[in-house]
Amino acid sequence: MNRKIISLIVCLNLAVFSGISSGQDLLIKNGTVLTVTQGTILNGDVLILNGIIEKIGKDLKAPEGIKIVDAAGKYVMPGIIDSHTHIALSGTNETGDAITPEVNMRDVLHAESPSIYTALSGGVTMVHTMHGSGNPIGGENIVLKMKWGKTSEEMIVPQAYRTLKFALGENPKRASSFTIGTPRYPQSRMGVNAIIRREFLKAKNYMEQWDRYLKAKKSKKAAKNIVPPRKDLQMEQLADMIRGKMVARCHSYRADETLEFIKLSKEFGFKIACFEHVSEAFKITKELVEEGVGISIFLDSWAYKVEASEGIAYNAAYCTKKGVLVSINSDSGERIRRLFNDAAKSMKYGGLSADEALKLITINPAIQLGVEKIAGSLEVGKHGDVAIFNEHPLSAYTACQMTVVEGEIYFDRAQYLKEREEMEKKKKEEEKKKGEKK
Amino acid sequence: MRTQKISFIVSAFAAILLLALISSARVGPAYAIVNCKIVPVSGPPVANGVIIIRDGLIESLGTQDKVVIPEDAEVIKADGLHAYPGLIDAHTNFFIEPPKEEPGQRATAAVAAQPEEKNWAQDASLMAFDLLKPKKTVVDSLHMVGITTILVAAEKGIYAGQSVLLNVNGEKAEAMVIKNPVALHINFTTERGRYPSSLMGTMAFLRQSFLDTSHYSTHKSLFSSSSRGLKRPEYDPYLEALYPFAVEKRPVFFNCANLEDIKRASRLIKEFKLNSFLTGANEAWRVADLVKELNVPLLVSLDFKPPFTSIYVNQGEEMKKKAEEEIYPANAAHLHDQKVRFALTSLGLNKPSDMVKNIQKAIKAGLPREEALKAMTIVPAQLLGVGDILGSLEPGKIANIILTSGEIFDEKTKVERVFVDGISFKVKQPPKKAQPTTLDLTGKWKAAISGPMGELEVNLDIQQEVNAISGKISSDMGQWDITDGVLSGKELSFTISATIMDETIELTFNGTAEQDSIEGTISFEGGSAELKATRIPERSS
Amino acid sequence: MTRKTLTFFTVVVFCFSFGLSLDKSPNVIAIKGAKIIPVVGEDIEQGTILIKDGKIEDIGQNVSIPQDAEVYDAQGLIAYPGMIDSYCYLGLQEISAVSATVDSRETGQFNPQVKAVEALWPDSMHIPITMSNGITTAVVVCTGGLISGQVGMIRLAGWTPEEMVIRNSVAMHIQFPSVPRIRRRESQPQEQTSKQIEELKELLNEVRYYQKRKQAAQKNSNLPLPGFDEKLEFLIPVVNGKLPVLISVYADKDIRAAIQFVKDEKLKAIFFGVTDGWKVAEEIKKSGIPVVFGSLYAMPSEWDNGYDAIYRNPGVLAKAGVKFSFSSQSASLAKDLPYHAAKAAAFGLDKKEALKGVTIYPAQIFGVDDSLGSLEKGKAANIVLADGDILELSTNIKRVFIDGKEMDLSNRYTQLLEKYKKR
Repeated sequence: MNRKIISLIVCLNLAVFSGISSGQDLLIKNGTVLTVTQGTILNGDVLILNGIIEKIGKDLKAPEGIKIVDAAGKYVMPGIIDSHTHIALSGTNETGDAITPEVNMRDVLHAESPSIYTALSGGVTMVHTMHGSGNPIGGENIVLKMKWGKTSEEMIVPQAYRTLKFALGENPKRASSFTIGTPRYPQSRMGVNAIIRREFLKAKNYMEQWDRYLKAKKSKKAAKNIVPPRKDLQMEQLADMIRGKMVARCHSYRADETLEFIKLSKEFGFKIACFEHVSEAFKITKELVEEGVGISIFLDSWAYKVEASEGIAYNAAYCTKKGVLVSINSDSGERIRRLFNDAAKSMKYGGLSADEALKLITINPAIQLGVEKIAGSLEVGKHGDVAIFNEHPLSAYTACQMTVVEGEIYFDRAQYLKEREEMEKKKKEEEKKKGEKK
Repeated sequence: MRTQKISFIVSAFAAILLLALISSARVGPAYAIVNCKIVPVSGPPVANGVIIIRDGLIESLGTQDKVVIPEDAEVIKADGLHAYPGLIDAHTNFFIEPPKEEPGQRATAAVAAQPEEKNWAQDASLMAFDLLKPKKTVVDSLHMVGITTILVAAEKGIYAGQSVLLNVNGEKAEAMVIKNPVALHINFTTERGRYPSSLMGTMAFLRQSFLDTSHYSTHKSLFSSSSRGLKRPEYDPYLEALYPFAVEKRPVFFNCANLEDIKRASRLIKEFKLNSFLTGANEAWRVADLVKELNVPLLVSLDFKPPFTSIYVNQGEEMKKKAEEEIYPANAAHLHDQKVRFALTSLGLNKPSDMVKNIQKAIKAGLPREEALKAMTIVPAQLLGVGDILGSLEPGKIANIILTSGEIFDEKTKVERVFVDGISFKVKQPPKKAQPTTLDLTGKWKAAISGPMGELEVNLDIQQEVNAISGKISSDMGQWDITDGVLSGKELSFTISATIMDETIELTFNGTAEQDSIEGTISFEGGSAELKATRIPERSS
Repeated sequence: MTRKTLTFFTVVVFCFSFGLSLDKSPNVIAIKGAKIIPVVGEDIEQGTILIKDGKIEDIGQNVSIPQDAEVYDAQGLIAYPGMIDSYCYLGLQEISAVSATVDSRETGQFNPQVKAVEALWPDSMHIPITMSNGITTAVVVCTGGLISGQVGMIRLAGWTPEEMVIRNSVAMHIQFPSVPRIRRRESQPQEQTSKQIEELKELLNEVRYYQKRKQAAQKNSNLPLPGFDEKLEFLIPVVNGKLPVLISVYADKDIRAAIQFVKDEKLKAIFFGVTDGWKVAEEIKKSGIPVVFGSLYAMPSEWDNGYDAIYRNPGVLAKAGVKFSFSSQSASLAKDLPYHAAKAAAFGLDKKEALKGVTIYPAQIFGVDDSLGSLEKGKAANIVLADGDILELSTNIKRVFIDGKEMDLSNRYTQLLEKYKKR
């Protein structure tokens, strides 16, 4: 226990007094470097300076005084990115209303949640942490780096898209079933679609009201006492969707509802970054490819509800081969630490190559989040977000050994084991002493 | 015959009551506190000092050779005692009886999941003053630790209403008020079963309500400056209640239970340019830079329980304990080191006596004693805009003075006497530690109270939890609460708060108990009576 | 919901019924050229397995192949015994959120009379998916209450429950009374727990007395015959030590109490779950009680346990000498059984032990090692041919034999895939 307290206090003090971290220096040496986008380098080195990858190659010279990690016999891969999760938040769903685009996950970050440490222990360095699926229109999501012990501000990834959560199907339908009295509208898929359409129609009207007001105010003939329209935070968010300042992340399972949402996006001209879960994506690869919409799915978690009962394990590989941009997500504070296991299954179910499988949890989610320029692969100029494994990350026998964010080590299994051993020793000694006293 | 007895007692009680009322209403007398060590806070201590109090104010103070004792003053010998300004607790929920939840409200709230009308700002207009139910027991417990001034706010709700600043000078709310209202209180909490049901919803809701108030205000001012051709704004009581705070920038208190709450508050303060205080804030040291940058008054709670969001809470019991005993008590010391100005409050603590214990912990964790004193006197006075009349011992200021047996906040120091608004109060001494008991008094009892005026039959319903005794006493005169009861071995004491003709008086019982009988004396100001009680056997069903 | 469910079932029943052997499996089969991992004994490079009448007739490098044998060339493949899932809901749960499709839980505290296999749905889509990942045998489990009922063992092949069932009853499932984690600090629940343990003990005493009276009455017709008592009746094999109890128990404190309970009551026991087992490894070892691990897809109950407590638990217990096996604790993801074992291997368990934990060890724990759990002469020909390590995530299962019959590996996954490939 003491080790934890000490390391924790040290790390918290750093968090308090160091202000915004600018990244650190680190040289990882002699590993099998899985760049994901640029092939594999045997006995390769990765040099990170100020949190940014400076060089990747063989026999890199270490700048003086730099921290070196020996990765001989180990596998070095880009930090894993979870495209859909709900960790590190105080609250997931605003259940008080069916339409809640005004709520923002940025307001409820829980930087001290142990789930961040859990994510790191599975090589995850970045997550898209989201509003729940209780509402047809949920809230604004946020992308975080897993800088355990740092402040919530330091975790936010400003380069990522602004995304708004939408949800179709069973969840928004049954969201109010636990409350007393009349069930909440909507209770059907047609209602879900209609309510989303209603809100976008409202938003268009809202935008026009403001346009007219601003125009009228500019005009020389305008009355002095002209009252501006009420500023409505819900409408502001949807207006941003229509203006293309924010993109949709839509929870859907069935093929049909997914297609309906694509129609809505065309009707109102907003962009869909990605569909979530989409058990039935393999049925509509044609449309997904045509629209250039990606999917963020479970590899094989399925049949827990009716709309998930056709979610076959081949979904990821099949869609990938058809040209859909696929990522594997956790949607769970537990699954998040074994995303690499899920990715590996895409080799068995659908025959993806190792690189293609790794892309499902690295560069593909990065593209979906709009952060492919800074993360998702080991390339010079990208952030030094790295996960190191003792066996190939796609092997069932692998265990994450180290997780690095922007050159800083946040998870170190060797250190953990060392501290655990010391603690157990101490405990035994204490017990011995107690025994002697008695 | 019986009726006569009762009326005797009633009239006796009423007489006592009348006396109490008269004493609190009359013009304050003059006192001369002589031969004490004066710690004025605003200046250096004065040995062998004299303080002259007249009609509620400090008339003069200084060394014995310089201050003339007026002829009409009652002289109070304070040899060996220290005189401090009365302590100010700048955020409490004392005396508040929350409005009763209307039956069925929750059910209808759930139905209103699709809100047609949001009744959100309802509680912004809630006045803490209207909820005040001052109790002698609370007054005594505050005096016992030297608190003479408290800020009182309602506890619950996102908008928790508006607070009032009170001088703890008795039990009459009107006589106690120093300033009303003081501020609008906001909690980062949620509604149950309706919007906003989540913290993120609460943030959006607060933003929207400030936006709406400002829109309402724009509309109103446009209408008042040029109403021709403009539809009149519909009167909105909710937005009216928010108007002074959102538009006129009267103070808003954000209750910050953890460091993220401080960040949430800071965002709202910046976005809506609010005139704000942060209260609670027991993680303020962890965001010291932000707090400094915000430069808003800080009312730091002496509650050292780490919030459930804390990294210290989720890592086992040992860590949690350490956090409460060592890490969180250092909040104030860290803030002082960082040159952040703050007042200390008891918000979140169960009883005033915990506050003193926790101040001692804060001092042990590095907060200089004189800073702790300032944080409970002159700093809150200034922050709350009453620095001219409270917070230090200076001529012309309100005579809120405490006399202590030693240096304040010392473990052994007792508060001996308290002046509030120049009214002298004897201070009850803290109860002795209870001895273990083998008795269990829980159950129903029949008792007779006999005094000079006659005999009264009453029923007691007693609850015992270890040494603590509580319950109800009922008679023809009504039903009253038994509070503050202690059973120590066989020694039993408790307090009865009796409400007669809408006024509350305190009766104290001291006596002995057996498993099936209780005997002792009930005393009240102006008299006493004997109580004998026997247990009513439970019917075995 | 009911109507939806019904429609759904219609679809399932009419379109997707698999899990069956290919019709024309010959009687004598020789699998030739595979690397054989019999689990018990040395690995055999380039070996041959001869199957006759559903059993392994011979196995080794120098096996003579009869003329009438159908010869399968398994060059480049690895032959394993079919895996055994020690705790799953196959055939009992279809769609977990739809209660109409869930038959694994009965209401009430004491249900020793119910048998999981009597609710078995042979057409469950999860069975062929699981089987085609190399799992040929499963312990199907009922849950709920204090005594949940009897768990049975099935082969993942057959048209009817009867054809699938290997043993109607391999254990009586008991949920050991425990304090929910969130309430552990309160005093009351602990008392309640001891009270429940006492209740269990009293019940078992009643069973003993009931049996005694019954036996006495049978011997001596003058003595009154006790009235039939369903609960007591079905617990008789338990108190006689003939039917093991499968005790679900997790926290170290509860494990200790459970060990004492088993000792006091002289029961034959198997533990399930045992997530805190690593804290009391020596005590479990001493008790001789074997352990079935639940899904390793779980989080440690407390931070102090360390992030990898669930993962390393099997390794620690194995090292202490505890007999163990793995389980999927699932229906829809029962196919993941090998990966739970591999996860334990990633955190300290020997790889060969991990493999045994899904083959020979469960066979021993549930008393079927005379016919299952390894590739040995005389055992059932449950054989899996894989193109790699059977515990590896990327390994493909090429062929599966159950009782000597080759299985059809198509399943709901492949069927849906094929359907939409045509689009």
